[in-house]
Amino acid sequence: MDALAKSEFLPREHVAQKPLVFWRPTAKTGIVSWLTTVDHKRIGFLYGLFALFFFLVGGVEALLIRLQLAVPNNHILTSAQYNEMFTMHATTMIFLSVMPLSAAFFNFIMPLQIGARDVAFPRLNAFSLWTFVAGAIILNIGWFQASGAPAGGWFGYTPLTTRQFSPHHDIDMWVMGLQLLGVASIAASLNFVVTIINLRAPGMTMMRLPVFTWMTLVTAFLIVLAFPAITIALVELMMDRLFGTNFFEVSNGGMPILWTHLFWVFGHPEVYILILPAMGIVSEILPTFARKPLFGYPIVVFSGVCIGFLGFGVWSHHMFTTGMGAMATAAFSVTTMAIAVPTGVKIFNWVGTIWGGHLQMRTPMMFAMGFIWLFMIGGFSGVMHAAAPADSQQHNSYFVVAHFHYVLIGGSLFGLLAGIHYWFPLMFGRKVSEFWGKLSFWVIFIGFNVTFFPMHFLGLNGMPRRTFTYDANMGWAQGNLIATIGAFILAIGVGIYFTVMIYTFFNGERVGRDPWDARTLEWSLPNPPPEYNYRSLPHVRARDSWWYDKHNPAESHKPEAGHDGAHAGIHMPFQSIYPFTAALGLLVGGFAVSNMDPGTGHKLIVALIGLAIVVGSIYLWSLEGNEGYHLHPEDEEPSGSGHKTH
Amino acid sequence: MDGHQSTIEVEGPVARAQLSLFLVTCWVTLVIFIIVGSVLAYATIRFKARTQADEHAEQPPQGHGNPLIELSLIGASVLALVIIAVPTLRDIRYTYDVPAGLKGDAYQVTATGYQWWFKFDYPSEQISGVGPLNTGDELVIPAGRPIHIDLRSVDVMHSFWVPKLAGKVDMIPNRANFLWLEADHPGYYWGQCAEYCGESHAVMRFRVIALAPREFEEWLDNQLQPARSVPVRSTAGAEPTAQFAALREFSQNETGSSGVFDNPSVPPLDAWRAKQFVDKGEDPALIARGKLLFAGPASEGGKTCGSCHTIRGVAGAVGSQGPDLTHVGARTTLAGSWIDNTPEQMRRWIHNPEAVKPGNKMWVNGYQLNHITLTPDDEVALVAFLQSLK
Repeated sequence: MDALAKSEFLPREHVAQKPLVFWRPTAKTGIVSWLTTVDHKRIGFLYGLFALFFFLVGGVEALLIRLQLAVPNNHILTSAQYNEMFTMHATTMIFLSVMPLSAAFFNFIMPLQIGARDVAFPRLNAFSLWTFVAGAIILNIGWFQASGAPAGGWFGYTPLTTRQFSPHHDIDMWVMGLQLLGVASIAASLNFVVTIINLRAPGMTMMRLPVFTWMTLVTAFLIVLAFPAITIALVELMMDRLFGTNFFEVSNGGMPILWTHLFWVFGHPEVYILILPAMGIVSEILPTFARKPLFGYPIVVFSGVCIGFLGFGVWSHHMFTTGMGAMATAAFSVTTMAIAVPTGVKIFNWVGTIWGGHLQMRTPMMFAMGFIWLFMIGGFSGVMHAAAPADSQQHNSYFVVAHFHYVLIGGSLFGLLAGIHYWFPLMFGRKVSEFWGKLSFWVIFIGFNVTFFPMHFLGLNGMPRRTFTYDANMGWAQGNLIATIGAFILAIGVGIYFTVMIYTFFNGERVGRDPWDARTLEWSLPNPPPEYNYRSLPHVRARDSWWYDKHNPAESHKPEAGHDGAHAGIHMPFQSIYPFTAALGLLVGGFAVSNMDPGTGHKLIVALIGLAIVVGSIYLWSLEGNEGYHLHPEDEEPSGSGHKTH
Repeated sequence: MDGHQSTIEVEGPVARAQLSLFLVTCWVTLVIFIIVGSVLAYATIRFKARTQADEHAEQPPQGHGNPLIELSLIGASVLALVIIAVPTLRDIRYTYDVPAGLKGDAYQVTATGYQWWFKFDYPSEQISGVGPLNTGDELVIPAGRPIHIDLRSVDVMHSFWVPKLAGKVDMIPNRANFLWLEADHPGYYWGQCAEYCGESHAVMRFRVIALAPREFEEWLDNQLQPARSVPVRSTAGAEPTAQFAALREFSQNETGSSGVFDNPSVPPLDAWRAKQFVDKGEDPALIARGKLLFAGPASEGGKTCGSCHTIRGVAGAVGSQGPDLTHVGARTTLAGSWIDNTPEQMRRWIHNPEAVKPGNKMWVNGYQLNHITLTPDDEVALVAFLQSLK
């Protein structure tokens, strides 16, 4: 954990001249160092920790669902508990697990890939992290309250989620939690866009960017443009619930279909937000382990950008059964089929990358290959949904459940699990054992397919979604039992994966730099990377910059004089407590607002206190300034420089 | 995939069109899977580094791509999608509304979603002084004719799905959705709500019963009549008849709530037909007592059932919050088609609605609000009365 340990170089005499409230934390170890960190690597690590924790929470919710459905007319969960369970399983996995795990990689890896020392706005980065935690808490605290956890389904269709039909505060907490997550995501995405545009090392043109960084950029744009739609929807729902407005209030002319449109204008780009980072990771892993460049880099990048654009034109394929009319239905059917083209193109390019290579079937490669197979299957069921008349039988049935688990687990999760194995040596200096890594892959792969493949048939046999029970005479019992068994196999695989990861973190085999003989810039760093990332900013000469440097050593040893003000040292930002306190204020205020009943003055006071904390934090944050301190790493003994030797 | 709600073993033209389109997508994606999968599998095996020496060998040719291959593959993908798009557009037009040439023959019904049951109105069957004929749970239609179904909701979003006949369309408040379907031949079809609508969404179901034209007319004639009354012949003591005697314990994992009407030896449609006939051994006095409990004034022991349920011809049963029960004895299912309409299941439902169907409005807005309590004798009498309403 050396990147995350203290630096000996913080000049002790550098005391802030400003009054106490602008004291800049200097702790490099201990809890304060974590709460005040602005280092993208630490922030990425924290995102990863929270994401993996919530992955387990969502997994338990899934296992409870599967237990309830294992046999007909089961009594493991009541109807109300089951409805909370499927709502929270989806919300947790999407917003508190896959997205933050992607954010963990965006944070840790992207700046390293572009040759930067951190993101453009380090304190804003920390703010995003802590606001995400605040949102996660508000979403889950209902489990401990009388009102219960949210139970309106992860897409919260109205009028079911209006006050009349969901009178308790669970929906208010759901709304508030998602709003906070939206704030966190948008702030982080703006940060990443500015970073990628502005902080690339010299010579790192856009078309030399690693594909993962490109996907980070596209995902960030998607987040910034898509989240406003759900923000509007959530604000309108909150106003209906708290202040008696009538956006969705049918008795006063409101239109529930409005929610559906707004939600899916967000919701469809959201699924691309979930898959593009994983596609980026796979696009890094395949070339490394095939030992040749990505086939058709410009097309892969362009198709990612296309998916981003086209993703805003297909949302109503989630609404084929809402009676939009033949014209609109036809239009969205066609655009949905169109978006299959750039998605399919990527698969062709990955196959082309493997073709003619020397494939090293290490654990990250296994997960990446698993991704290709499973995402292909999920993509096919997606194409089936695009044909609207066929979709009218599949919609809201287990066929859809099968489809999106293939693309989200087989796709997103496999990509992220691959990324963890791949970048583990860079982040922590240790490598996961091949045997245990591959074992976890196979158990997960088998368990996943046993769970979700039968669901295609359950859906075609007429089993609807979100149903807490079913009858024995419907012909669904066998498929459900198989799926439940598969879910427990999957759980064992996940258990192996997590155990191995934790073991490796503390005790795993240490490895030197660049253990995979990789291609991109982040692998040129010591592992773990030092606080300041690059001692001297790299000069990029080609795509797959690190591979180029390794194979053209004469060129890369040219000294770059005076590029980074080596005499003055490397400028590092001071840590700050205010991003954390601002998020804390959001937590307090958000909790109070979402639990308000008419006539409860004390909650209003708490809400105002929360607001005061937020405003105060931001005010002090803006005044504390963006000074920092300087590090002089040439005073350090040089660690192994240059490129890896076998 | 041959269950009661199968989308594969279809029995109507709309579902058939939707199925054949699905099969087109299956074929196209299967071909793509075989081609891409084989190439992928071959490459994985052929280009694997097999020995240690192999792994550290010279880097393989560092090809960057091949625009010709790329563009050909993109072109092939577009072609594959066109193969799917053409029938898609044709079927969108076909399944959206009753085809123009058949519109004259179409029969009109309205289906309304309630938490958690389906109401069916027949606008062409007006009952003077009352309004359109309406029933709950079971939609009876003429077979071999297009049926145009207007879809409404009084509360939250629901969805009308009878897979063997047609794909679903949602019932959205404040929105005038509709669908059309047709049953090829007479039959008994299972349906279910397909949009999450709250606590008992999973058990909000319905049936569609398609009858040959003459049988349908007979059914309509009967339905248009007010409730059947069974004259009390004597004032003999109201001993419960054997069939209503014991309250059977219903175990967990009870197999199939359609167990009685889903019997391999009796086709469900025949079982439904049998339900149209009067039960043997009716006890008029018991029925009269049940009628009093149902619709009589509270001062005479009435249980206020009539404040939510209509039974045409029974004064005091004029409510419209719950299903119309004028001919409930002729239905095969109860409680949103969740349980069989046998005397035992009906008694179980009346005895403790909450245990049968969590959160149901009969419990919340009826029993709890009006503090309804029933003795076992009450239950038996009510069951006798309701089962007599053929």
